[in-house]
Amino acid sequence: MKTKSILILVALGVILIGLNSSVFTVQEKDQVIITQFGKPVGEAITEPGMHFKVPLIQDANYFEKRVMEWNGAPNQVPTKDKKFIFVDTYARWQITDPLQFFKRLTNERGAQSRIDDILDGDTRDFIANNDIEETVRTSNRVPESSDTEIVGDSLAKIYVGRDKIQQMILESANIQTADLGIEILDFRFKRINYVQEVQDQVYERMKSERFRIADKFRSEGQGEASRINGEKERELKNIQSIAFRDAEIIKGEADASAASIYAKSYNRSNQSRKLYGFLKSMETFEKTFDEKTSVFLSTDSELYRYLKRMD
Amino acid sequence: MDNSKLNIPPELRKIIKYWRLIASLFFLGIILWSSIFQISTEEVGVITRFGEYVRQVEPGLNFKVPLAEDVYKVPVERQQKLEFGFRTSRAGINTQYRESSSTKDESLMLTGDLNLAEVQWVVQYRVDNAYNNLFKVRNPQNTLRTLSEAAMRQIVGDRTVNEVLTVGRTEIGSKSQELIQKICREYSLGIKIEQVVLQDVNPPEPVKAAFNAVNEAQQEKETLINQAKSEYNKVIPKARGQAEETIQQAEGYAAERVNNAEGEAARFTALYNEFIKAPEVTKRRVYLETMSNVIPKIGNVVITDEKGNNVLPLLQMEMNKKNIK
Repeated sequence: MKTKSILILVALGVILIGLNSSVFTVQEKDQVIITQFGKPVGEAITEPGMHFKVPLIQDANYFEKRVMEWNGAPNQVPTKDKKFIFVDTYARWQITDPLQFFKRLTNERGAQSRIDDILDGDTRDFIANNDIEETVRTSNRVPESSDTEIVGDSLAKIYVGRDKIQQMILESANIQTADLGIEILDFRFKRINYVQEVQDQVYERMKSERFRIADKFRSEGQGEASRINGEKERELKNIQSIAFRDAEIIKGEADASAASIYAKSYNRSNQSRKLYGFLKSMETFEKTFDEKTSVFLSTDSELYRYLKRMD
Repeated sequence: MDNSKLNIPPELRKIIKYWRLIASLFFLGIILWSSIFQISTEEVGVITRFGEYVRQVEPGLNFKVPLAEDVYKVPVERQQKLEFGFRTSRAGINTQYRESSSTKDESLMLTGDLNLAEVQWVVQYRVDNAYNNLFKVRNPQNTLRTLSEAAMRQIVGDRTVNEVLTVGRTEIGSKSQELIQKICREYSLGIKIEQVVLQDVNPPEPVKAAFNAVNEAQQEKETLINQAKSEYNKVIPKARGQAEETIQQAEGYAAERVNNAEGEAARFTALYNEFIKAPEVTKRRVYLETMSNVIPKIGNVVITDEKGNNVLPLLQMEMNKKNIK
């Protein structure tokens, strides 16, 4: 009885171990290659779920099915126009043929190192074949800037462009990875920058450019102020002289019409002219004589005629 | 074995008696425990059976087959963000930010006219496809970070430094959002970009002073123009007023001149009309009237007859005496 139950237990244990090593699960993110004594057997398993293999003699080798990252080491590369730049790149890649991948690259580390070689080399080649603008700019868009004219910023014309260079590197790389069981899905420049020494020169250039713009603004301000000032002077002289002219005209006209009024009145006959002379001298007497005046009058005069004698 | 012989408390005896029941309840508990799970409001649960995706469950209490099924919780409703060029060191009412040399590398970029600018930005995103996010790409968040940097540089690389620093800000935000979203879709990240917000956009530290000088010069220009305009406004209206005054004065003079003339002429004419009728008498009358007005005002009136020239010396003495007094 006791030995029987022990036997059953042992049998169960063996079955369990057998099951455990013959059943395996494939996750959504995985793909699996079965190897028998190290030699791949059958097609890759890409369907997730529970799968079986021959226990003990077959092994399940897991590979990533998801898209993976690749980051390039920041490289110092000269461009065609002899500018030294740092180029930091990245790519996305995927194992498309696990069997081939397993044969050629064994594992991810092998793959990363192969991609390093291919993409770093291609990056170097393509950067060196293009001017720096081509790697920075994508299109020949026209900058929309309210004061472009003042600032004088402009974009040089490009012929290839960043997108195109990335595309060419991607295509070239995929030709080289064709038999490695992987595909590079996308390749991009993450960062492009001047190397330190060039950077300082660029800063100097930027400074001088800005100072030039600042000078321009300042001189424009002075010019505009002078113009307004001149306008003010002109306006002022204009206003004052017009006022003077108009005032003189008005006064002159008034003088003229006064003269004509006087003339019309005084100049109508010989008699009137005499009367005017007489009245004017009478008026003058009244105005000019005062207590300081001494007058000698003869009794012959009209006034005191009767003082001498009455006749 | 006789239980009564051992000194075991009755409670323990009961436990021993029902140990099978207790054990099976215990196992049942464990199975239940591993089959019930909770999904929070902002999450969904992705269920795989033996590694294979089977279903997605909504927030609340959910069940799965124990041992065979696994659950991945993905926060699809939570808005997440990535910061570029700076890091939030402590969020709160007064959020503190931190910059370092590595964030400087993130923010420093080449503009289309080969100048440099420091651009800081934030990408706000949400996982909108849990399946893709889990199973299509390894490290989706890292991927998003990397591609955002590339996309922002591509957008900034097509603009002048002046655009990047001033007028182009909003446009760069929206354009980079489009581009990042487009790449996310290409990569099947299962991520939706909610917004790309440009934070500080500055010229690099060594050239900041030069950029400020431009701003100052611009201000200076405005100031000079404003001063000139204010001087103009101070002088010209005043001059116009003065001109008006001059004209008015002239018109006043004119009115006075003409009116006086008319008045005097009328007076003369009236007198003349009478004078014509009796010239001698009128003339004499006027003369005498004038004299009678004038003579009282005169200090000394000496009347002599035609032979009285000899009194003159006497008169002289008289006048001197008066002056001595």
